[in-house]
Amino acid sequence: MHSDLSVRNLVVNYGPVRALHGVSFDVPEGQVAALVGSNGAGKSTILKSICGLLKPIEGEIRVGDKIMSPRPGDPLRHGVALSPEGRRLFGRLSVEENLMMGAYTVRDKAARDQMLDRVFVYFPKLKERRRQMAGSLSGGEQQMCAIGRALMVQPRVLLLDEPSLGIAPIIVAELATIIQEISRDLSMTVLLVEQNAQMALSIAETGVVLETGKVVLTGTGHELLASPEVRAAYLGT
Amino acid sequence: MSFLIAQSLINGIILGTLYLLMAIGFTLAFGVMRIVNFAHGEFYMIGAFCALIGVTWLGLPFPVTLALTIAVAILFGALVERVVFRPFRNDELSGMIASLGLAMILQHGALILFGPDPQAFPAIVTGVFKWGSLIVPKSRALALGIGIVILLIFYLFLMHTRHGRALRALVQDQEIAAVFGVRLEIMYALGLGFGVALAAVAGGLMAPLFGVSPFIGATPLLKAFIVVILGGLGSIPGAALAAILLGLIESFTSSFVSASAADIVTFALVIVVLLVRPAGLLGRAET
Ligand SMILES: Nc1ncnc2c1ncn2[C@@H]1O[C@H](COP(=O)(O)OP(=O)(O)OP(=O)(O)O)[C@@H](O)[C@H]1O
Ligand SMILES: [Mg+2]
Repeated sequence: MHSDLSVRNLVVNYGPVRALHGVSFDVPEGQVAALVGSNGAGKSTILKSICGLLKPIEGEIRVGDKIMSPRPGDPLRHGVALSPEGRRLFGRLSVEENLMMGAYTVRDKAARDQMLDRVFVYFPKLKERRRQMAGSLSGGEQQMCAIGRALMVQPRVLLLDEPSLGIAPIIVAELATIIQEISRDLSMTVLLVEQNAQMALSIAETGVVLETGKVVLTGTGHELLASPEVRAAYLGT
Repeated sequence: MSFLIAQSLINGIILGTLYLLMAIGFTLAFGVMRIVNFAHGEFYMIGAFCALIGVTWLGLPFPVTLALTIAVAILFGALVERVVFRPFRNDELSGMIASLGLAMILQHGALILFGPDPQAFPAIVTGVFKWGSLIVPKSRALALGIGIVILLIFYLFLMHTRHGRALRALVQDQEIAAVFGVRLEIMYALGLGFGVALAAVAGGLMAPLFGVSPFIGATPLLKAFIVVILGGLGSIPGAALAAILLGLIESFTSSFVSASAADIVTFALVIVVLLVRPAGLLGRAET
């Protein structure tokens, strides 16, 4: 199986401080990959680099056989969409308007409407609340809206940054199932960043463990869940 | 008495419309580029001169003149954005100083070109509308009508078009808007261009009522400032509410007390709002 998203030797600094020290990993096409690691490991930095918000000092990011240039908007054109950490919805736009912002570059109305219907099938709550301000949704609903917004471009690669953050456990379980379904139904490549390693690794085919800006372990989701290092560091067992 | 109330109401709404036309561009420049634009009053002045040139020098009909003023203002706004403001976006202090410099250049440029004396503007329409004892000069009714139509068009653009939506999204989170493909360079120019156009239209509409000179920008700038502080910096619904409120307060206080009392009441209100709700009536606290 060839890889759909490939990160090679990524080095990123914030001013003088190095956040990523040469990170490399691959995500096979159509699979869910988990990227786990503790606070400040550099997970969000990787996602921001992939979607062009940060300019790497070194390294290369490919989607398929295209090299991404570090400008926001360019990775989007090649099918990369982000559901950012903390959701970052446009709080004073309605739910539907937020979803339409996701489809900002989709000029074909039929395609937009079709994707909107799809998103509403996965997240029926959003349909009920489509006219409501996004800022007034509950945390779980906001997360659904953020994932829905990213889905609206019909991405090839979906980047999810901590969808479980600040959300009730029962909703987290529901989200996990939906993420799996989305990847399967739309044969979409998903890179799932999580501090909740248990959730992420249990739905992921492959996993990458990051520590202070370096990849320390890779394997299938099950291997990592079973590995003593991961259990000790992230699962508390 | 009831006649005086009705009269004040109408005058207040006319003032409110003018203030809102001014305030939208001011708040947009801040929302989109984080620039406190002290040159905004000069765009009003330029609009007034454009109208004067169109009507008296070129002999064009008033509506054509206004349309041309809008077109010139959008281009001028986009140019100013590119040349003056873009290097300073998100740098509030430098942006403010750049805008002060721009204001001086524009005002002194007008002074060199047109001289300091106020210029009379030929009446566009004459006569009055009369309902019983209520009298509204047609010139004011015309300014109000056109002002409201332009505000409505802008509202529809902002709320119901793809670019309008992108502009609102961008005000809330530039980074995320960019990730979804909104091209910031274009939106900055668009936002500033539209803001300048609204100010210029205000100038063009008010020129027949208040005359034209290089110095007429100062008061509208001050009012835009007050409206935006009252309404909450960056909030357009807040600005709408505050503009109408300010117009009504001014016109009622000057009818029933005196014009100088109107200024006192206005600034007292600003102080009270800032004490009670520092983020403005509909503004959010900065996070
Ligand atoms: N804007 C920034 N400026 C300076 N340093 C930053 C910035 N953003 C992140 N960092 C630093 O870079 C490192 C990696 O941060 P990053 O946000 O990628 O971590 P993370 O793995 O996403 O953590 P979390 O689980 O808390 O979201 C951290 O040490 C962080 O302090
Ligand atoms: Mg993070």
